[in-house]
Amino acid sequence: MMHACYQMTGTNTDRIPWYFPGMMLAALALVLVLGSACALAQPYDLLLKGGQVIDPKNDINEPMDLAVTGDRIARVADDIPASEAATVIDVSGLYVAPGLIDPHAHVFFGSDPEGSFAGGTGSVSPDAFSFRSGVTTVVDAGDAGWRNFPEFKRRVIDQSDTRVLAFLNIFGDGLTSGSGRYEMDDIDAEKARAMIESHPDLIVGMRVGHFLGESWRPFESAVQAARRTGRPLLLECHLPELPLSGLLERMRPGDIVTHAFGEVSDRAAILDENGQLRPYVREARAKGILFDVGPGGGSFHFSQAIPALRQGLRPDTFGTDLHRYSMNGPMKNMLNILSTYLNLGMSLEEVIAGGTWRAALALQRSDLGDLEEGSVADIVVLDRQTGDYGFVDSGGMRIEGDEKLEAALTIRAGRIVWDQNGLSATAWEE
Amino acid sequence: MIKKNSLAFRRWNTLKRAFRVLVIGGLLMPVAVVYAQSYDMLLEGGHLIDPKNGINEPMDVAIAGDSIAEVAPQISPDSADRVVDVSGLYVTPGIIDMHTHVFHGTDPDAYIADAHVSVAPDGFTFRSGVTTVVDAGSAGWKNFRTLKAQTIDRAETRVLAFLNIVGVGMVGRYEEQNVEDMNPEMTALMINELFPDLLVGIKSAHYWGDFTQVERAVEAGNRAGVPVMVDFGEHDPPLSLETLLMDKLRPGDIFTHTYSYTRGREAVVDEEFNVKPYVLKAQERGVLFDVGHGGGSLIWHQVIPSMQQQFWPDVISSDLHTSSMNGGMKNMANLMSKFLNMEMPLQEVILRSTWSPAQVIGREDLGHLSTGADADVAVFRLKEGDFGFLDARGRTMQGNRKLEAELTLREGRVVWDLNGRASPSWEEEPRRY
Repeated sequence: MMHACYQMTGTNTDRIPWYFPGMMLAALALVLVLGSACALAQPYDLLLKGGQVIDPKNDINEPMDLAVTGDRIARVADDIPASEAATVIDVSGLYVAPGLIDPHAHVFFGSDPEGSFAGGTGSVSPDAFSFRSGVTTVVDAGDAGWRNFPEFKRRVIDQSDTRVLAFLNIFGDGLTSGSGRYEMDDIDAEKARAMIESHPDLIVGMRVGHFLGESWRPFESAVQAARRTGRPLLLECHLPELPLSGLLERMRPGDIVTHAFGEVSDRAAILDENGQLRPYVREARAKGILFDVGPGGGSFHFSQAIPALRQGLRPDTFGTDLHRYSMNGPMKNMLNILSTYLNLGMSLEEVIAGGTWRAALALQRSDLGDLEEGSVADIVVLDRQTGDYGFVDSGGMRIEGDEKLEAALTIRAGRIVWDQNGLSATAWEE
Repeated sequence: MIKKNSLAFRRWNTLKRAFRVLVIGGLLMPVAVVYAQSYDMLLEGGHLIDPKNGINEPMDVAIAGDSIAEVAPQISPDSADRVVDVSGLYVTPGIIDMHTHVFHGTDPDAYIADAHVSVAPDGFTFRSGVTTVVDAGSAGWKNFRTLKAQTIDRAETRVLAFLNIVGVGMVGRYEEQNVEDMNPEMTALMINELFPDLLVGIKSAHYWGDFTQVERAVEAGNRAGVPVMVDFGEHDPPLSLETLLMDKLRPGDIFTHTYSYTRGREAVVDEEFNVKPYVLKAQERGVLFDVGHGGGSLIWHQVIPSMQQQFWPDVISSDLHTSSMNGGMKNMANLMSKFLNMEMPLQEVILRSTWSPAQVIGREDLGHLSTGADADVAVFRLKEGDFGFLDARGRTMQGNRKLEAELTLREGRVVWDLNGRASPSWEEEPRRY
């Protein structure tokens, strides 16, 4: 080619064969045709065919095919031809939704002999629980503070296949005691702010909880750091001296109160003695404060959740508060929480919205939680099963249900990370 | 003084007798009441499969404290504080997973020993009906105490262990080649003198050289009177599997990853899909074959022909670690279901995941529900439907049955309750409003 160019620009043009330009054009045409034929033949790596796509952000709840290329969603449309994908998966009878986002979990696991949540056995490894429950993103609820966040990043975030984000604890050393602390010596809103700003894509907000003293300082410092970085505050449990009314009053739109439907001794319940939503709770809701479920091991009671639902207070997000002491209890996993609310009368789109797009918005991560072309391919394929199921709250009370969601397939950044029944595989005989 | 044989005398005797009966009866009555309500929990209406005791029929199981109190048909519900309806379900001894890696930790320079490839057991076990796991040589004598402190002493699951013949255990493939660190004396000494209740055998694995590692492991096994488990598969060219099974291993030793198909090891099934004769002979001679599914060690074109030709595993185990937990293995209930769908009867599946592994590791106090045994109990639902099972090569086998763990008890405590059957209905709680 270079040689030909030389000749063309040289003075001796009669050395170029007459058919040369035609040959070049033909070659070019051939390359283009073949190339586009190849591209057209298999532009997609993965095609989920025949499922019901539920994408709450875009108000989609209909039969659609979804194609993935690399780590991105490439196309969402009616009837994408199977010939266009290297791997075609038949998802007929199943629901295709964005990968679930758990905004409340404890995943700073380690072997700390004290067994705490900050690098100890109180926390759990995210990959062991996420994908099998359709979760592709978890948000750590303040196990790390500004002192040990870098260690959390190195040991957990960087080594997990699950996407791990974090609320930063206002206490520098994070969640060192499950029952709470009195000391305030490790609070530094400025250092917290600096840590957030050095990891803006990983830290989604501030977290406060597990403080047993009367001072408002930890709460106010957390609010301060949150405000300065334009991020939400996650209000956790075990703040026995700070009344719920005062806390909600000082919180801003977009802040999140978790363990919302718990009936616990160290915090007012959202319902009064007559089973009515308290006025200050209604005001908080109207103001734009978000309510997360977060059952954990002790913070979800039907006696709160069911009347609240009837009075119009639905959960905004379905955080699990997953940790060592909740993983084997009634909470079980995020799909179990979604299924509980499905059986309490919320629709499938509503529970999926709470588990995906609404959680993404709460975390100010609108790049997540949807199935748009160009979005990261974090996807769950759900099986809506019928049978006789029981769902239990933190008081050990049970409700009966006849529907349950199970993860048939989970995809993380375009890679299949959980395949319950081998949908993505070929039969062994072939 | 009353005269003998007079009516008064006889009446007085009757009165004395009646008085005695009343007093003794009165004293015994609280005992009788306690005796009548002596069980903490009754699993009522289930089908019991207890291979050791030859039970495979409807049977109630009563538990008192942390032990099995009574196993009988139709035990009265009045005899227990808590009655759990398990009708339609199978009650079995808690599953024993004989091959796992639970030495979880944060050493950045290691992989299985005190590191990220191992897992914390409690998040996997109870939800699959498992109550005992055996760590398969993640630690050697140099770091077993760390495994004990970090995992064994803190887990709710019962954790036992094979001790790796390599002193540092599974720190890295490179370190596992160090023959200098394969010390039969120290390994056997730790088992005999320090932790006889926790250490159940010796592990030989991941060795690239000749039979030296196996020989050292067997020497340690002889000194400690325990079996050896061998993961044999990384030799280039492969060493003779026949020599291993017929000469090097003793009856009672365990060959794991039985149905694997890998370049470094001879397979148990040849290229015409026939089980090799010496493999069957080895099983006859007493070598035990363990599944050890893992992330790469169960291949359909090995296990399906094996099952069809009656080469069944002696023990079903998971090789649980981070590379198997999200792949085709998933969990013990799923793995047991694979064998169910390969036409192994349910009681045979249960045998190979309870009583057989208990005997292999010399722990005959486990793996059965005899009266007085630890109340480690699994309750399974046998689901029917269309299920697919994956092997290590991403190939599927279709099945129509699957076990799901409904309820798991560990020393009499409910540690997993899928549908809340041990919980009261919320309608039973008096409404306050």
